[in-house]
Amino acid sequence: MSVLDNIYAKAKKNPQRVAFPEAANEKMMQAAYETGKEGYIIPVLVGNAEELRILAKERGYDSSVFTIVDINEEEYKNSVIEKFVALPDTKLKEKALGRRMQDPLYYAMAMQKAGEVGVTFAGIDNTTGDVLLAGQMMIGLQPGISTVSSIGLCDIPGFEGSEGTLLAVGDSAVCTNPSADQLADIAISACDTVKNLLAWEPRCAMVSYSTLGSGQGELVDKVTEAVRIANEKRPDLNIDGEFQFDAAISPAVAAKKVKRESSVAGKANVTIWPDLNVGNVGVKLIQQFGHADAYGPMLQGFNSIVCDCSRGAPVSEIKGNIVISAVRAAAMGQV
Amino acid sequence: MDRKELETKILELVAISYNEKASGLSLATNFKNDLVGASVQMVALVAEIENELDIMIALQDAAACNTIEDLVNAVEAEM
Repeated sequence: MSVLDNIYAKAKKNPQRVAFPEAANEKMMQAAYETGKEGYIIPVLVGNAEELRILAKERGYDSSVFTIVDINEEEYKNSVIEKFVALPDTKLKEKALGRRMQDPLYYAMAMQKAGEVGVTFAGIDNTTGDVLLAGQMMIGLQPGISTVSSIGLCDIPGFEGSEGTLLAVGDSAVCTNPSADQLADIAISACDTVKNLLAWEPRCAMVSYSTLGSGQGELVDKVTEAVRIANEKRPDLNIDGEFQFDAAISPAVAAKKVKRESSVAGKANVTIWPDLNVGNVGVKLIQQFGHADAYGPMLQGFNSIVCDCSRGAPVSEIKGNIVISAVRAAAMGQV
Repeated sequence: MDRKELETKILELVAISYNEKASGLSLATNFKNDLVGASVQMVALVAEIENELDIMIALQDAAACNTIEDLVNAVEAEM
């Protein structure tokens, strides 16, 4: 059973309510419908209800699969506003929230914050920036985290790592040039993400061109400082470095290069890149030379699950990301 | 609210969101160079502005502001 098959099986056992604020989009509605029809999620379409019903009918979908929330209907909107503003960590007051909720993206996230759905899934009409900023305003960040970031899950044929062919890597999509503080946040969030999604005990390596001082310079200093900060913030997690990539994932290389005790070196299941240049190139190398499937990016750092899919994504990829998001939400104890 | 009152109000809200003393801020204060904060602080600031001034400004527009004066201009355009 592949990793994605396992995740699909998990989703089916506990289907989550997933809000789709871009449901009028043909690909998004198809993905919402198919994942709902197949029993992985309960799709909640958020928008102009009349338009959505007409589109669903035209596209030949069984409307009983969908729950449709009309953003123009006042009674339900007011109940969401009431729940939202009663929460201790929300930023907007009633009137400002009501204005924001004219936009389905903000409406969906208000529902999520109010506990009406477990996930907001967007990104096909809205830009990544729109989704990230809306998420920060409506959902907020986890305590102690000040950076939204992402990880991807790579399934690499022939790789014999500590989790078989799987390796989680981050951040390859969001933070361009993270500071040491931000890098620490990325590592902490990545550990929580793999714990929730895959039930792994995370072993997180922060990678560099240096292994424990074999190289010097400000690029290395940033990574060593990030390791220090991460360990100070979350001593319960196994986060170590700085390691070169091979020392992080290969027991043989780690035995040669890492001359101290480490619960991570040689057996990392999560690697954190020092910046987006490395992250983007790294993932492309894994895909091109390692013929890997890369799932994600999975956004992390939010109080609950927000998903931004690629605007060019095919329906099959959107479905995979919906199901992954739902499983993460279930593990975080959402609706 | 005239321009001067708006400037004073925005300076006050920036001070709250970025945990700075209002006396240390001016219209020329640059968000990226002079203030320690990430997008999360800017988002909190926009929420405060929307709550206090009864307007809505696009988060992307606010995030594109370099200085406090740029933000005052963006807010004024929505009032």
